[in-house]
Amino acid sequence: MSKDVMPTTGVSLAGEATRTWNDVDVDPITLRVIGGALDSTAKEMAQVLYRMAYSSLIRESEDLGAGLFDVNGRELCESDSTPMHCGSIPAYIRGINRRLAGTYKPGDVVLHNHPYHGAAHSPDYGVVIPIFWEGEHVGFAGCTGHVSDIGGNFPGLCMDVVDVWAEGKLIDSMKIYDAGVRNDSLIQHILDNVRTPEQNRGDLEALIASARIGEKRFVEMLEKYGLDVVMSSAERWMDYSEEMLRSRIRAIPDGSYSAPVGYLDDDGKNRDVPVAVAVRVQVEGDEVLIDLTGSSPQVPTAFNVPFEGSVLPVAVSAIRTILLDEAVIDDYVPQNDGCFRPVKAYAPEGTIFNPDFPASCFARFSQVNRVFDSINLALAPVLPDHAVAGSSAALCAIAYSGLADDGESYWVYIEINEGSYGGRQGKDGMDAVDTLMANTRNNPIEELELNHAMRALRYQLRDEAPAPGRWRGGIGSHRSWLMLTDTFLGSEADNRSDAPAGALGGHDGVSGSFVRNAGTDREEVLYSKVTQEMIKSGDTLDIKMPSGGGFGDPFERDAFQVLSDVWDEYLSAEDAERDYGVVVDTETWTIDEEATDRLRAARAAA
Amino acid sequence: MKRIGVDVGGTFTDLVLWDDDGTVTVHKTPSTNHDPSIGTMDGISVLAEQAGIDPSEIEMFFHGTTVATNIVLEHNGSDVGMITTDGFRDLLHIARKKRPLNYSNYQDLPWQKWQLVPRRNRRTVPERIAANGDVITPLDDEAVRREVRLLRERKVAAIAVAFLHAYRNPTHEQRVKEIILEEYPEVFISLSSEVAPQYREYERFSTTALNAFVGPKTSTYVANLARKAAEAQVGEDVHLMTSAGGLVTSRSASEIPVSLLTSGVVAGLLGGCAIGKASGFPSVITLDVGGTSADVGVAPDGRLRMKHLLDTRIGDYHAMIPMAEVDTIGAGGGSVAVVDEGGMFRVGPRSAGAYPGPACYDRGGVEPTSTDAMMVMGWLREDSFLSGTMAVKPELAVDAIREHVAEKLGTSLEKAAMGIFTILAHSMTEAISLHSVRKGYDPRDFSLVAEGGAGPLYAWQIAEQLGIPRVIVPGHPGITSAVGLLTTDIRYEVPTTVWTSSDEPDLALIQSEMDRLASEAGNQLRADGIGEGDVTLERSVDCRYVGQGYELRVPAPDGEITAEWVQQVADAFHEAHGRTYSQRFDDKSVQLVNIRVTGVGAVPHVQIQEIESGGTDASAALKTTTRALFWERDSAEPIWVETPVFQREKLLAGNTFTGPAIVEQFDSTTIVGIGQKATVDKVGHIIIERASA
Repeated sequence: MSKDVMPTTGVSLAGEATRTWNDVDVDPITLRVIGGALDSTAKEMAQVLYRMAYSSLIRESEDLGAGLFDVNGRELCESDSTPMHCGSIPAYIRGINRRLAGTYKPGDVVLHNHPYHGAAHSPDYGVVIPIFWEGEHVGFAGCTGHVSDIGGNFPGLCMDVVDVWAEGKLIDSMKIYDAGVRNDSLIQHILDNVRTPEQNRGDLEALIASARIGEKRFVEMLEKYGLDVVMSSAERWMDYSEEMLRSRIRAIPDGSYSAPVGYLDDDGKNRDVPVAVAVRVQVEGDEVLIDLTGSSPQVPTAFNVPFEGSVLPVAVSAIRTILLDEAVIDDYVPQNDGCFRPVKAYAPEGTIFNPDFPASCFARFSQVNRVFDSINLALAPVLPDHAVAGSSAALCAIAYSGLADDGESYWVYIEINEGSYGGRQGKDGMDAVDTLMANTRNNPIEELELNHAMRALRYQLRDEAPAPGRWRGGIGSHRSWLMLTDTFLGSEADNRSDAPAGALGGHDGVSGSFVRNAGTDREEVLYSKVTQEMIKSGDTLDIKMPSGGGFGDPFERDAFQVLSDVWDEYLSAEDAERDYGVVVDTETWTIDEEATDRLRAARAAA
Repeated sequence: MKRIGVDVGGTFTDLVLWDDDGTVTVHKTPSTNHDPSIGTMDGISVLAEQAGIDPSEIEMFFHGTTVATNIVLEHNGSDVGMITTDGFRDLLHIARKKRPLNYSNYQDLPWQKWQLVPRRNRRTVPERIAANGDVITPLDDEAVRREVRLLRERKVAAIAVAFLHAYRNPTHEQRVKEIILEEYPEVFISLSSEVAPQYREYERFSTTALNAFVGPKTSTYVANLARKAAEAQVGEDVHLMTSAGGLVTSRSASEIPVSLLTSGVVAGLLGGCAIGKASGFPSVITLDVGGTSADVGVAPDGRLRMKHLLDTRIGDYHAMIPMAEVDTIGAGGGSVAVVDEGGMFRVGPRSAGAYPGPACYDRGGVEPTSTDAMMVMGWLREDSFLSGTMAVKPELAVDAIREHVAEKLGTSLEKAAMGIFTILAHSMTEAISLHSVRKGYDPRDFSLVAEGGAGPLYAWQIAEQLGIPRVIVPGHPGITSAVGLLTTDIRYEVPTTVWTSSDEPDLALIQSEMDRLASEAGNQLRADGIGEGDVTLERSVDCRYVGQGYELRVPAPDGEITAEWVQQVADAFHEAHGRTYSQRFDDKSVQLVNIRVTGVGAVPHVQIQEIESGGTDASAALKTTTRALFWERDSAEPIWVETPVFQREKLLAGNTFTGPAIVEQFDSTTIVGIGQKATVDKVGHIIIERASA
């Protein structure tokens, strides 16, 4: 595609809509009722999708999105599944519209995954159904889900690939149903070109079922209230979300706030050459610009980021999370197009956040999660009550794969390992949990051992002490697998060789690592991004996830909390004394108050 | 036979004494939360006195309790220790590693903030069992003994034992139990292979830890109550309601108290089923509205449906126990109405509760609630609160709604009050819709049973919105849960994981496991003294398509396990999948994941008796008329109508009247909307027919 079509700044689709309805006044009660109906429709779509899906990424990890959209792709409502998906579907629809606008018929179902035309990345299949009412095209129901394999150079995940064609099979605005007629040969062709055809078939059916439920519910709403009332209500809800966000932005002093430039481990090919992530937050009145100027030029691997489908969602999610934290505010602010309007993003062309076609951009999560982390850090000085020290802020996805016993079919299992949060004002960081843009479930070990030739040796918190702080950093997990068959390994992760940053006097966090055959004479540290590495039967893989940064001066941490961490074996007595100035009597496992006071007073005087 | 049902809720304890001669006596008393057995036993004395009998004449005692639920919600369980597999110390801490909230940096992870077992007491020992049940690493007895002694020194009140794949091979857990019994016999023991013998380690471990967390206090409570009941010679044993809608004896409830979680709301659904059946409408949707929340349940043909694994939670914790599908939403008489900073009109989920309560209670509450709206609309009158024994101030309701809603929205007082009601009714409608229409059930095939003090205030409107043809208002809406306790059987569900597929079913495995489960369920019933003739066994299977991640439960036929049996199960699954997800794949093979046998010990159920009949003319029950606000459709303007007020106790079978109308009784008020027709049926239930039907 030509470069001038690529947006250079983040823009909402708002305002571009040609109204096919009349704006009407909606009474406050109907408004509330339609708001509830939109919200529960999005939730129901997501539930159908993940409960019926095959790919573990969809069904367990809820690596999916679902919602309703107007004819221009503006988001009326979206499910609260993985934030990374929320807000990417409008871009899918824009991509599809560029090819299909004007050709929609009732009964169409469109499949799309093109990362330069709106997809979040190519393994996120998007299914979009145009909704018709009284013969008129009035909107879309759409959903996305991450499938196990899309027939690229390598099973499951890829890193060291030459371009977007090598990362997988591209599907650009394909009608898999045309006016209600299923195109079985097209579907077969798509499935014939992936390594996991049965799984993808099940996932595709689940995506279609989810979008159809959305279509059905929307039509029911239209039948009950009419187009004018439903769309006018949706408008009002979008304005509401927009205004809630704008009012919070207005409260931040105007200015330019930069995080220290962060570095990702490498690009998966040029080893140990760090990849820069530069984030500046510009606040002007009731608008925010996330400026990524200064970030690395695009890289010759899959470690680039689709601008529309991934950079915009992270900018919006981060600002919304910081300013309208769901745990802090009482009012439920629905996720819709309104959230996009006050937040813009900019990344120069030819950089990892706005790559030139046809660079591959399959592995984009660790970069965008790092942008979120940097937005947290950039705003910490002006919003101390909302601040968070550095979090693990990567996405540790590992694909395990191999030929099945029949010698013909593949097994592919993609696992997303959790990270941890940095310390917060008044609260320790969350331990062992997905961070920021990621929010997925793990797979039961007992299920994996039933299905795959791998055995878990360990799944618990890391032994290394968490980052000290008045509010300590969260603790990452440590997983260890024993392979019971020869297994291919692919990964897109970032082990934070540039450790999560401490904030306001807290210490930096702890880097992660991948180690093969740890504790043996064949021990070998692996890179965080590997392509088609072989792990032999009998080999082990230890995965340690980064621990978040500390918040505030650890010498101000409540001494009993420190003791409690010693009791829980998060800290040794030496750690407590050195990092927190708390002296623990290891006979009685109580605090030596006198020695502690002395030590802490000496530090304060110094 | 005389039997008593006692349902202890957070605020009130409801009691019903049921004599098979047709006498039904009810009583409501404040709960004694520090020791609910006090309120229960005192209530029984009062009730017996009301009925003119001695408590010792009561032959059966059925009980629903929130004791276990409250321990979980209030995070005040016992100190628990855990013995688990080396390398997996923190499974409870990591959980499923998904945050409850997407857009929040400042949330707490409940399982980390309120830990069921603190890390210091989660102790690991060498042992490991493979997915097929083989022992990879034998259990280290000495390590177990060492850890048990440590936990004894730390004076934990309960020990949870949870090993990987113990659902497949429980021998290591059983050995730990033996060692605990040698070293620390007085501690409460919870084994994962006994509490929830199914695969999925986090959910099983969490359930086992929850059982330990609520165990000591709950079993003490149950034992205490059983002792007091025995002293008073009330019934032979206390039978308690489980989350699955069955009864268990006090012995079993003390062993697996986690099964009592959420039992109160299930009793409400069971009561609704009995009420529907008595009126000749077995398929029911139940709506139980209290002060802070509303429970909705859907029972096609009066059968309970079980929740999906992902939904069986209690508070913030996973509990892999069978739970009847009842959903609780934050909508009730105390739900607060606000116009938020963005100008949106919202009602609930925040509630003013009983204190400060609705503005009209004059207990210091200034925010308008749905009760205030009903006061303004004339549906609740000064003398309708507990028959006038509770003082209220209508003018405070008017002030609250005017100031906080009407003026902010620039609308009339009437429309503001109507709006509060309609928004709340819509949130109930959404909840019901989620459990009916969206699960493949058509509301037109159901009746709506209005329960709780406030259910009959909302039901008439919800029936109109959802197209439910009729509302059934039972004789005593406020004690439906207590009645529900008297309408079910003793049930023990025993599950196991088989993990086989319809392509190559392991028939021998299914057969041997079915036989084992049947014998375990039978043993439980025998231990409760149930005669062989009263025992039936029900089978069910949790299925999914091979490769999917989550199961649906389907009933399974009796008889020998054959290829045909497997096919019948697969067919039932295709049908269930089609209804649930609107898609079915008959060519795909079906994974049989868990099988379950439920032993049912029949308990004679109560029959709702007929009442005295009169003619169609209801005027003898007319108490007064009052000015009240009604509307033709929820989109129409509200109008003031002079409305008849009937006294419930005086209505006779056969009486009919048309809405608008208000029916008052001691603890409940029923609304009949414009154009709706109400008939008192032969068992005294008011049947309200939908206007537009």
